[in-house]
Amino acid sequence: MNTKKEIVSLRNVIKNYGHGKVITKALQGIELNILEGDFSVMMGPSGSGKSTLLNIIGGLDKATSGEVNFNGKDFNTLSNKALSIIRRNHIGFVFQNYNLLPVLTAYENAEYVLMLQEIPISQRKEKVMHFFQEMGLEGLEHRFPRELSGGQQQRVAIARAVVSDPLLVLADEITANVDSETAQSLLELMETLNKNNKTTFLFSTHDPAVIKFAKKVIVLKDGKITNEQISSENIEKYTKR
Amino acid sequence: MKSKLLMIIKIGWLSIWRNKRRTLISLFSILIGTGIPTFFVCIAWGFYAGLVDDVARLMAGHVTYEHVNYRNSPSNDLWVDDIQVINKSLNNNDEVLLTKQIVNLQGVAHTAKGSVGISLMGIEPSKEITISYLPESIVEGEYLSEGDGRWVIVGSKLAESLNVNVGKKFVFTTNDIKGELIEELFRVKGIFKTGSKEIDGHFVQSDIDIARMVAGLSSNDVSQLGIIVKNPDTHERFLQEMQKTLAKKNGVFLSWQQIMPDVATTIRMDRTAISSIMVLLVVIVLFTMFSTILMSTLERRREFASLLAIGTQPIELKLQIFIETILFGLIACPLGSLLGVGIAKWTEGYDMMDVVGGKAEDMTVGGFGMDTIITPLFSIPLILQISIFFFLAVQLLSILPIYLISRISITDVLRST
Repeated sequence: MNTKKEIVSLRNVIKNYGHGKVITKALQGIELNILEGDFSVMMGPSGSGKSTLLNIIGGLDKATSGEVNFNGKDFNTLSNKALSIIRRNHIGFVFQNYNLLPVLTAYENAEYVLMLQEIPISQRKEKVMHFFQEMGLEGLEHRFPRELSGGQQQRVAIARAVVSDPLLVLADEITANVDSETAQSLLELMETLNKNNKTTFLFSTHDPAVIKFAKKVIVLKDGKITNEQISSENIEKYTKR
Repeated sequence: MKSKLLMIIKIGWLSIWRNKRRTLISLFSILIGTGIPTFFVCIAWGFYAGLVDDVARLMAGHVTYEHVNYRNSPSNDLWVDDIQVINKSLNNNDEVLLTKQIVNLQGVAHTAKGSVGISLMGIEPSKEITISYLPESIVEGEYLSEGDGRWVIVGSKLAESLNVNVGKKFVFTTNDIKGELIEELFRVKGIFKTGSKEIDGHFVQSDIDIARMVAGLSSNDVSQLGIIVKNPDTHERFLQEMQKTLAKKNGVFLSWQQIMPDVATTIRMDRTAISSIMVLLVVIVLFTMFSTILMSTLERRREFASLLAIGTQPIELKLQIFIETILFGLIACPLGSLLGVGIAKWTEGYDMMDVVGGKAEDMTVGGFGMDTIITPLFSIPLILQISIFFFLAVQLLSILPIYLISRISITDVLRST
């Protein structure tokens, strides 16, 4: 019996773009559950709807129809402000381009979300330093993003995403801008966070290396989740940009 | 909450320095925008204040007490009586520097060379020496002293028209208060030159006793009682108080603006012109700043989108942009004011004619010559007013970026790169 808590539940989610006759069906009847502690990877060719799905799960976009439940809350009924508060308190984001604030140091970037949550300074420091230690970022606290390598910036971005102990971390093509060695170490790091802190991760990627770490692989094709198994024969189809 | 606000201020502050060159250009434009009007206002208001004070001291004071009908028709038979009581009361008032009793007589001066219409002003010479610039304008002979009798001082152009020198005499024809034609002989004690065609060409001063005698007035009567106040800025309120407490039935207290409407109008027009320049400068500054703020916002669309994605409230981003423009204003507006004040201070004591060229005689306002020596007026409320005006104008610039932020589609912006 599965006793894990359900964090995300999607029922018959449809997302269409455009109006009138020109409608692009980005998602067509998606059914998906993300459970606490999952380390799931979404794969699929470009245009398959990965980013759209990630945006809907993250409350950045709204589904045209269907049910999107996050931690028991129906996203379709929430205001933009309420969605923003849920993102602030319960969802971590890691972007392909890191998207760190260039005017803040590595430490301040990681601290930013905690500050939005109005966590007291002593706790902020404790949390940020804990993750910096765990992620091998010690000594880089006072560096600005421009003074860090791509891998280091992505580590800071991960620290920013996990530092507030979110229920879910959404990672969009996080290995796309780093070399394979750095990608490997980033994935190992996230795997460790998943194991040690029970942090739930959902990746969207084209990188076959990510699949090796996945506990669950979700394959998207033409806006639908397929039952197709990823194998060495067909992996090229899902990793092509 | 406090640390969040501090973080927003910090991000705002650091953000404006991302592109130092662009920021410096913007700051410079605000600085110049604030500095130029501050400079002009200090100089111009200094000229006005000097002019008003000079004219008030020369003529009938900052506030004048006279017959209710005298303004409409300043004839010799309109005077105010029982003046000593009012005069004593005014001289006991803390706001009054001093009062001057004046008898004005309109008439004609004759010599063998010809006749010229003049205004003879009977004054108290001992007081006049302490307040008026006329004694310093004597170019020949001497200024009046008490008990001078028929000795008068005349303007240089009048002396020329009548062909009189110091010691020479002329006949003055006027009416007394009963309307009788009076002729009186006067002798020139001194010739003054103010630079004003009106004053130098048609103005004569005598001791008040002889003027009273010619007009047929008693020592308790005057045409006007001029009041020099310590703070000319508050003369309107003072005037209202005096009107309520001291004015008699046939007397009225009037401000210098009512006594010298030409001067008041010219100053008002000049101030309007300076205000227009200020508005024009605001427009130029806003245009310069507009591109900076717009570029800076467009460049950061992706950053804003990712901040919104991780849970920053739109209001917090809007606050950040607002703080950025506040910081722009807070840095540049006070510096601009200091720059304007500094330049005005630096020019203090210079003769304006050396800078703009021309003759001092040409510098007249309402027929009165202006002192062309630059004497800036550093009015803190006025300087603050300009600075705050520019500060608020700069804040208007945050409207566009705030609007743009409210229109950001997080998914579109994040997808676009």
